[in-house]
Amino acid sequence: MAKPANRRKTVFGRLFPLYLLLLAACAPSQARIYDDFIIVKATAVDTLPSLAHKYLNDPTKDWLISEFNDIKTLDAGQEFIIPLRPFDKGGLKVNGYQTVPVLAYHGFSKDSPGKMTVTEASFEAQMKYLMENGYHVISLDQLMDFLEFKEQIPEKSVVITIDNGLSSFSDIAFPILKKFGFTATLFIYTDFIGNSKALSWEQINNLSKKGFDIQCKTKTHRNLTKRKKKESFKDYFKSLEMEISYSKKLFKQKLNKECSYFAYPYGATNNLVVAILIKQGYRAAFTVKRASNPCFVDRYRIHRSVIYGDYDIERFKKNLSVFNKIKLK
Amino acid sequence: MKKIINVFLLYIILFFFTGCFAVMEFKKETPEKISAGKSEKNPESAETFLSSSYQQKSLEYEKKNELQMALYYLQIAGSLNPDDKIIAKRMAVLKSTFADKARRHFKKGVVYFKKNKLKYARKQFLITLRYNPEHKGALDYLKNRLAPKEYIIYKTKKGDTLKSISRKFYSDNKKDFLIVYFNNLETNKKPAPGTTLKLPMLKSYSTHLAISIRNDLIKARNLLEEKRYEEVLNIAGEVLEYDLMNREAADLKNAVYYHMGMQLSREEKYPEAINTFKKVDPKYKDVKRAIREVIDKDLMKANSLLREEQYEEVLALAEKALDYDKSNKVAKDLINTTYCQKGRGLISRKNYVEALKVLNKADALHDCIEKAIADVKGVMKKEAEAHYLQGVKYFLNQELSSAIIEWEETLALNPDHKKAKENIINARRLLEKYKKVE
Repeated sequence: MAKPANRRKTVFGRLFPLYLLLLAACAPSQARIYDDFIIVKATAVDTLPSLAHKYLNDPTKDWLISEFNDIKTLDAGQEFIIPLRPFDKGGLKVNGYQTVPVLAYHGFSKDSPGKMTVTEASFEAQMKYLMENGYHVISLDQLMDFLEFKEQIPEKSVVITIDNGLSSFSDIAFPILKKFGFTATLFIYTDFIGNSKALSWEQINNLSKKGFDIQCKTKTHRNLTKRKKKESFKDYFKSLEMEISYSKKLFKQKLNKECSYFAYPYGATNNLVVAILIKQGYRAAFTVKRASNPCFVDRYRIHRSVIYGDYDIERFKKNLSVFNKIKLK
Repeated sequence: MKKIINVFLLYIILFFFTGCFAVMEFKKETPEKISAGKSEKNPESAETFLSSSYQQKSLEYEKKNELQMALYYLQIAGSLNPDDKIIAKRMAVLKSTFADKARRHFKKGVVYFKKNKLKYARKQFLITLRYNPEHKGALDYLKNRLAPKEYIIYKTKKGDTLKSISRKFYSDNKKDFLIVYFNNLETNKKPAPGTTLKLPMLKSYSTHLAISIRNDLIKARNLLEEKRYEEVLNIAGEVLEYDLMNREAADLKNAVYYHMGMQLSREEKYPEAINTFKKVDPKYKDVKRAIREVIDKDLMKANSLLREEQYEEVLALAEKALDYDKSNKVAKDLINTTYCQKGRGLISRKNYVEALKVLNKADALHDCIEKAIADVKGVMKKEAEAHYLQGVKYFLNQELSSAIIEWEETLALNPDHKKAKENIINARRLLEKYKKVE
């Protein structure tokens, strides 16, 4: 049995931290809200995501506070601004403009790389590089808002897309993306679903429910710009129309989700294909031209950089250009 | 031991009653104080200090040429210290400078675009947007005009069939199914003349057509500088026939009619100038102001013609002004005054019936017209009565034919004159009896 003096110390030792904890938890971060901004005085418990959550209703918008105030972290007592309207639409600066890389992956494997297959270790290293170097993985909707001058996006934004719908995504890429809190868009061609190497409808549905964006990439993955031998122009057109409309209808039916974006098989497109996409109500479409995207990129020819299996981290880094230098004055 | 526990419990209770209440009070206070931009806990001096530090930041961004950030920080400084006139003035200067620079770079961009120097044009539009991210014109050029076109717009003419349109645009009448698909047409029915059709541009065709259209438009722009308006209109018309939505061609057409309108105005051919200006898109340049100026000149000319009693010309000029602006009071007044003067002229020449006809064409409530109508009606009544009495005199002298003529004059001036009517009937009966007796 403990002696009274020791017991006193124990009680004191247990209650004092409790008191401090309560004090800290209840301590207010002082804020003054105006029409276009909020002035906040940070406390010890505040973080950028917690303040973004509190004042912008979205913890992932911490970058807005960080970029506006040019800060990486918060110090207690520090006063700073939370902007309530965009301050950098289009990412236009005096010395150039923002560009957004869109990365395109295909397959993944545990340890045997192929041209279109990235190993688990490489993919993890690439995602880690993005995380550690301040890149923000954004969705296609965010990219579109940027392209349409509606909203601003983080200065170092990147989009991750995965083509075709191979099941290796679920086994290898998904856990890694989840670990880093990144999202991605899957462009799936519907005839592949049900194949032994493909994601099943159930898996696709689950991924969709977990916030992964499922989008279209034709029915059969035919090259949309090449007419087959002996194929009349009319048959070619009918085939294009079917390739573009079928997967959209099927996703709507199976996932109850509207397909708004399209990836061209082999990245190949032409005017007729784009005209059909516009008629079918697609908002944008993606090629595989290796380049980053400025705010004025053609919405139906958005560039993507394919990440091949033999890329080391240095080669990967070359695909992450987020700014193009040009004097804008 | 119990004492220690009690002290801690007391601390915690006190904390909840002070600290957390303070939080709640703070949160409760925020809406009003926040909207007012002031807080009792932040005295004015603190606000002023903060404001000047944000002002400083604004200056730093301005030096770095990061203009939107400079403006944003200045707005923050202004919100914290709304009474500071220097900040308000500086903000006004910044805004006006940015607007001016945006305007200049946009103009430059349009010039490059017209010269087909698209890369340079894009740069100017990006600079415009850096100064004003909401600049609609620059956004339109970046998103639409500089982007490749997928469709051309065609307005059908009399005699067009889907096959003939397909042959015209795709050099192949079997591609008519494309027109059906892209325009949601039900069958291969002949489209009604004037139907607007979207025609997808096929690669080889579009490249060829795009180059040809661009060359044509460059040529037309040079012709415009040489004032060869008819040729410009021909080229713009041809381009618009293939591509109804081609804005450059539409701009050229507007420019031609605008210049022609100005020329006609200088030649004092105001109605023709108004007709020409009416062919210009009302949103083009200052065409609305130009039309207003021409109308003013037109009405001034009409006024001077009124003094020369050239009534028909005055009416034509005033009607033209009303054609464009139905509520133009000066034109309305001029029309009424013209009818009034013309009517009074006829009254003085004793042509009362004609005068009344003229006066009745005008607004009966117009002061001059109302009075003139009353005058002419009064005079007509008197004159009618004089003719009636003269008729009676002739009747008493048994000059029945002359009496009838006088009473007929009476009725012409006053169709309701009962006695004149009755007397004419009686006089005619008597005349007939005399004829039988003779």
